[in-house]
Amino acid sequence: MKKAGALIAAVALATLPSWAGNQYQVHLATLIGIYWVLIAGLNLVVGYSGQLSIGHVGLLAIGAYAYAVLASTYDWPPLLALGLSGAAGGVCGLLLGLPSLRLPGFYFAMATLAFSLIVAELSLAMGGVTGGGVGLPVPGFPAPFDTANGLYWMVLGIAMSVTWLTWNVARRLWGRALIAVRDSPVAASSAGISIFRAKLSVFVFSGVTAGLAGALFAALQSYITPDTFAFDIGLFFFVCIIIGGRGSILGPFLGTVVLTALPEFVAPLAKLGNFFYGLLLLAVVLVVPEGIGHLVDLLAARLARRGRHESHVVQPDLPRLAAVLARGRTP
Amino acid sequence: MLGIIVSGLAIGAVYAITALIYNLMYATSKVLSVTTGHICMLGGVFGAWFTTVLGWPVVPALLGAVGVGAGFGVLTEVVAVRRVLARSDEHLWLLSTLALATMTQQAVGLWWGTEPRRFPRVIPQDFSHGAADQKFWLPIGVMLLAAAGLELFYRRTMWGKLFQATSEDPFAARARGISTDRVRMLSYALSGALGGLGGFAAGQLTFAYFALGLTLTLNGFIAIAVGGLGSSVGALVGGLALGLLSAFATYWFGGEYQQTIAVGLLMVVLLIRPEGLFGARGVRAV
Repeated sequence: MKKAGALIAAVALATLPSWAGNQYQVHLATLIGIYWVLIAGLNLVVGYSGQLSIGHVGLLAIGAYAYAVLASTYDWPPLLALGLSGAAGGVCGLLLGLPSLRLPGFYFAMATLAFSLIVAELSLAMGGVTGGGVGLPVPGFPAPFDTANGLYWMVLGIAMSVTWLTWNVARRLWGRALIAVRDSPVAASSAGISIFRAKLSVFVFSGVTAGLAGALFAALQSYITPDTFAFDIGLFFFVCIIIGGRGSILGPFLGTVVLTALPEFVAPLAKLGNFFYGLLLLAVVLVVPEGIGHLVDLLAARLARRGRHESHVVQPDLPRLAAVLARGRTP
Repeated sequence: MLGIIVSGLAIGAVYAITALIYNLMYATSKVLSVTTGHICMLGGVFGAWFTTVLGWPVVPALLGAVGVGAGFGVLTEVVAVRRVLARSDEHLWLLSTLALATMTQQAVGLWWGTEPRRFPRVIPQDFSHGAADQKFWLPIGVMLLAAAGLELFYRRTMWGKLFQATSEDPFAARARGISTDRVRMLSYALSGALGGLGGFAAGQLTFAYFALGLTLTLNGFIAIAVGGLGSSVGALVGGLALGLLSAFATYWFGGEYQQTIAVGLLMVVLLIRPEGLFGARGVRAV
């Protein structure tokens, strides 16, 4: 049942260009896929290990600029540049994570916020490399990825592999360790989990996915300026995860799809922009802190339970108990 | 050189005021609110709106800005802090105050516009005084006044003692008959009023600008992390040091690297003295 659902979803996603109404919807689906590449990695950091990083847009910008500079200024093969921008994101994630992951909650959030502001500042200041405020043109990928559909399939492939990776991480030992770190660091370290190493590994992984997403994002936009990577996008990634629900993969994915697509179809929401995201975040935090995904889980569990008899009720076997007691009294 | 020092001290005073607000809110609720900088932003924007758009004289406009700040402080407490503190999840207040801050910033951006707007003169003075200009001295004066006032408030008044008792041990304070909820609400109103005053005083320096809030939230936080959480002296020293550092960094390296250098200061201090220069050891675990 579950496998069939996943298969149908995979086929539907793979054939999306043929049933999508117009080219713009393919573009939108590509954008969602790119965001999801980043958010899937960030989800391990925010949703599983509970580190509230609000500045991942800085890593996205680093990936985008790395790709643009390598592929455009130095004329390297785009696919190699894509891999290298993922690596650049990972290295910067390591450099950011080494000092800041030692800090407690609010301090860490502020450090990541500061990091994204620093990246924005440097991308403006280092005009010789990044083109400053004017920006950089970004080349696309070679055939067969040079059309809109080709780029979509490429993004789909990367997004699916990243999802598969995070899914594996989340449901094996690693994911359990991360949840333990989130919910009780003391208990986690007493169970033999190296807290700092666990946090740092997923943070570096999220850096790699952010770098990849940045490169894909730049190729999709075909022109980048420092304004493209405003702090608001970092907040958007963060809100997608919190609204979807921490400690789940499907929830943040639905959050990404809905929050990316909704403003495109409901014009007044696009104008409100951040106000709408803030309102959603506030509502979710106050009403369902576990996220919308948690509600869906609860509903699914309730539906699944209906019709099946309760097998977990423990009924004492009274005659046997009496027999045991009687035997105990007369040895 | 005098000009750099004075302008550094002035912008440092704004950071110090923000840091004082952080302290005031943290004392009674153990919450570091993301909306802290936005309170000052509202003081500046509403001050400009009252004077330039509505044409009010300075004193009612100042009172209005202080009132808006206090109202927003109470709103923060009611919407983003109270219900979240009732749950035991540690970081929810970060999310709720972040959400409120985002909404506030966007709402002000939509209503007021995204361009920085001029803030009128508060005291009649022409523009020929250089370093003695009121835009530098007003924030510094307000900062000194606020720090001294808070110190007096904590030491000499009954409410100040209630604040301190709540800050030291809310449980024991409640056992002694203190309504800690009311104390917390009052502390948010007070910090809102202080933020409104600070934002009004700093208006000519920072302009009435909707995105000022996030910058101040970050820089005020750096001031408090450098100076030490919970210490008024630390807030002043941290804020002024950060202001001077940014001013000199701008002078030597140009304005492009301001944020980078400010965060560099933060990282150095957190590595060497994680509790800050004047903070008490063991306030938080790093």
